[in-house]
Amino acid sequence: MHDLKRQAQLPATDSALFAARGLCHRYPDGTLALDHIDLTLAAGDRLALVGHNGSGKTTLVKQLCGLLQPTHGEVYYQGKLLRGDYLQRSRLEIGLLFQDPDDQLFGHTVLEDVAFGPRNQGLSQPLAEQAAKRALQQVGLLELAYKAPHNLSFGQKKRAALAGLLAMNPAVLILDEPTANLDPRQQELFLELLREFPGTLICISHDLILLYQLCNRALVLEAGQVHHDYSLQELVSQRQALREHGLDFSFRFVTAPVATPLAEATPLPASASGSQPAPESTPLITLADYHFHYPDGTQALRGIDLSIRSGEHLAIVGENGAGKSTLLSCLLGLRQGKGAFEFDGQRVGRRQRQALWRQVGLVFQNCADQLFCASVAEEVGFGLRQIGLPVPEVEGRVATALARVRLQGFEQRVPLHLSGGERKRLALACVLAMQPRLLILDEPTAGLDPQGEELLLEILRGLDVTLLLVSHDMFFVGELTRRTLVMHQGELVRDLATAEFLQDEGLAALNGLSFTYRQRSSSAIRELQHAHEHSHRHRHLHDHLHRHGELVHSHPHEHEHEHSHRFVHSHSDAPRPQHDHQHPPQPQMHQHEHPDHADTPHDHEH
Amino acid sequence: MTEVLRLELPLWQVPLLLLLPLVLLGMAIYALRRSLRQRSVPGEEPDWSVPSLEEAAGHSLFHRWEVRCKLVSLLLYAFAVASLQQLGPALAALGLSLLALLLARTPLPRALMRLLALSGFLTMFMIVMPLSAALRPGDTLVVFAGLEWLEFNLRGLQLAATIAAKGAAIALLSEPLLATAPLPVTLQGLSRLGAPEMVGQMVLLSHRYLHVFRQEALRMAGGMQVRGFRKRTDLPTFHAVANFLGMLFVRSFERTERVFEAMQARGYQGRMPAPLATSLRSTDWLLGGVWLLLGLLLVIFDRWVG
Repeated sequence: MHDLKRQAQLPATDSALFAARGLCHRYPDGTLALDHIDLTLAAGDRLALVGHNGSGKTTLVKQLCGLLQPTHGEVYYQGKLLRGDYLQRSRLEIGLLFQDPDDQLFGHTVLEDVAFGPRNQGLSQPLAEQAAKRALQQVGLLELAYKAPHNLSFGQKKRAALAGLLAMNPAVLILDEPTANLDPRQQELFLELLREFPGTLICISHDLILLYQLCNRALVLEAGQVHHDYSLQELVSQRQALREHGLDFSFRFVTAPVATPLAEATPLPASASGSQPAPESTPLITLADYHFHYPDGTQALRGIDLSIRSGEHLAIVGENGAGKSTLLSCLLGLRQGKGAFEFDGQRVGRRQRQALWRQVGLVFQNCADQLFCASVAEEVGFGLRQIGLPVPEVEGRVATALARVRLQGFEQRVPLHLSGGERKRLALACVLAMQPRLLILDEPTAGLDPQGEELLLEILRGLDVTLLLVSHDMFFVGELTRRTLVMHQGELVRDLATAEFLQDEGLAALNGLSFTYRQRSSSAIRELQHAHEHSHRHRHLHDHLHRHGELVHSHPHEHEHEHSHRFVHSHSDAPRPQHDHQHPPQPQMHQHEHPDHADTPHDHEH
Repeated sequence: MTEVLRLELPLWQVPLLLLLPLVLLGMAIYALRRSLRQRSVPGEEPDWSVPSLEEAAGHSLFHRWEVRCKLVSLLLYAFAVASLQQLGPALAALGLSLLALLLARTPLPRALMRLLALSGFLTMFMIVMPLSAALRPGDTLVVFAGLEWLEFNLRGLQLAATIAAKGAAIALLSEPLLATAPLPVTLQGLSRLGAPEMVGQMVLLSHRYLHVFRQEALRMAGGMQVRGFRKRTDLPTFHAVANFLGMLFVRSFERTERVFEAMQARGYQGRMPAPLATSLRSTDWLLGGVWLLLGLLLVIFDRWVG
């Protein structure tokens, strides 16, 4: 068991920006979300707030900005109790960025929305607009100042929401999953903006690689209590603690996709699960010169030529807005474009399009969009009942699908009350129960914690089905697919082996998929995890001035004593890897500085 | 004249007099839809660094008009138009609305959309009223040889045309009324005229979140469709639709709570920041006076014709 509640060096309470004392919060349904939290935060701290879903992170930040009142305990901001008029005034200095920017952009235009906070701070309209324009300039959206928020892309909305906070010149920024659902280029842009923020930062995220770049202190919550409070470097270097809190993303280091040499990359598409598609068989899906444009005239797909063989595992990558989702909705029969579309050698016309749901299954990016029933069993059986299967077969398939996604025993649970990871697996079960010939996964890792990601990866690795993965997550692309299609502005610009794609940094960067900062952070974290100190006795051979009676001279001589050594080592894939590692060979005799006792009197044999 | 005049027309004129107008109306609606679809294909992205109202229309008479004065004058004028009873004055009102539309220089496709939305309703009037208007002395009935049981009352047709002209006149007037100032400014004007401020805030937020809820509903409907859901008239369909609506309600409710929290977190205390206060100038009063006078003249003309 790892050490609990080891405290970082905390600032004194009187100089603290935030202080929570014995903070408890119980929701009206009786759930105890926070249980005696003691926390002190100094101005300038950059705090990562991590833990399982439901551990109390969001409740804690809502307490810190006064959106919730504590059931017991107090919250202090700049030494004063956060209540009443003082709370109203403090809110104008504490910015809270919501996970979904649509919750936060309620203005008629972007400018009006960004100026909302400064107006509430008491600025006149012209001054508030000036502040808003400065903030929009900062996030690179000044040219869209008068656009309606609902017409912005997701990344633009996120930046506009941040501008709404920056315009208030806040002392504290609280961020809830700031980079969720952003493509890597947008993530990097966002990260730059947050790095430049000079105030105090509190960030909730499951993405430790992002947090490693952004924060210097980590607070790990578990069941409403503080389990750890220490530096972020300490957090990421302790795999045991990470694993127990569902945060261990080290599985991403075990089989790095980039390790596959180019020479081994399969020139022809092949199944990642080992089942090779028959090269001569009729393709499962064929698109030829396929176009699609929306009623507003936006050309979403331009001349797509695509062939997917049965058993293949392939990925589609591309920046946000490249046309990936439109292509998926055409493959599902939700939209119909112009051009040739064949499924299993049969032309897909209007009638066949309406029956594609029996053959093609999609797990949505936001799985809440496909969950609407009152119980898990009803949810999984929904599609099966639409087919008209007899009840015993429906029940059998539901049980099998739930077992495949490790949700046995969840049959009577309400889907709405499941955690993010459980809901994602439920959505997968709904699709698997239909036994589709083509399984499509749209951003399967979005919103999952590392533990959920690892479990999902394990489940997906075990599936024997034609798989089409749409993702910005290059690790999942590398792990699950052997062929990658690169989309850009509605066109398929490349069709190549995944290993080849992952080694082509230029191609990745061109399509907004640059993941260099993630690789950089991953390497640093990996090194931290694989470096630690041991103390054991060593003999040292060294040379320093010393005195023998009247004689002062210098010559090499030996000492034996105990001190720590720092090791960098490799782990095996065992479940508790830190117990199983090897150190590089250490010399029995070595030499280094002894500043503490080099000149102290000592005696030894010549 | 107290007698009812019966005009008997040969049967072959049925298609000419009845079906042809309907076909022409249908074709006009189809052409309108097609034209709107073509117009909605965007060319270049507009310049969003300047207010779109100024970009599109510059400073028309209606854009410069103080919002409270504009609301009061045009609403009173609209009431005057609604009170008209004769076809002539109603057509004159329609002409004035078209003139206002031209002066306001608001996007034509949007005005056509409003007319299109009304067209089904008004067409129904044009069909039903000639057949259902009560017979009065002096009415003219049109009957076709062989179809004597089918009587078309021309007074009913005239009544329907009057209603259609008044409806179209008011619908077109809503463009200069509502589309020549940003929505928050218009709502602020209403609030300063005494409308409850909370209602204005609700309209403003509804306008913003209608798109979000629509997108959510479309995604959920897509989610059902890819799992085989097709609307039928059976119990499972009602069950699924009830689940869909329930889930949509829950999600909307949760979003509403989050939006309220986001507003509070940025200092909202029950009042939206007011746009710049405007003051009434003499030109505003003058314009208001002109519109009220036009309304009054229409009413006098209507009574005089009647």
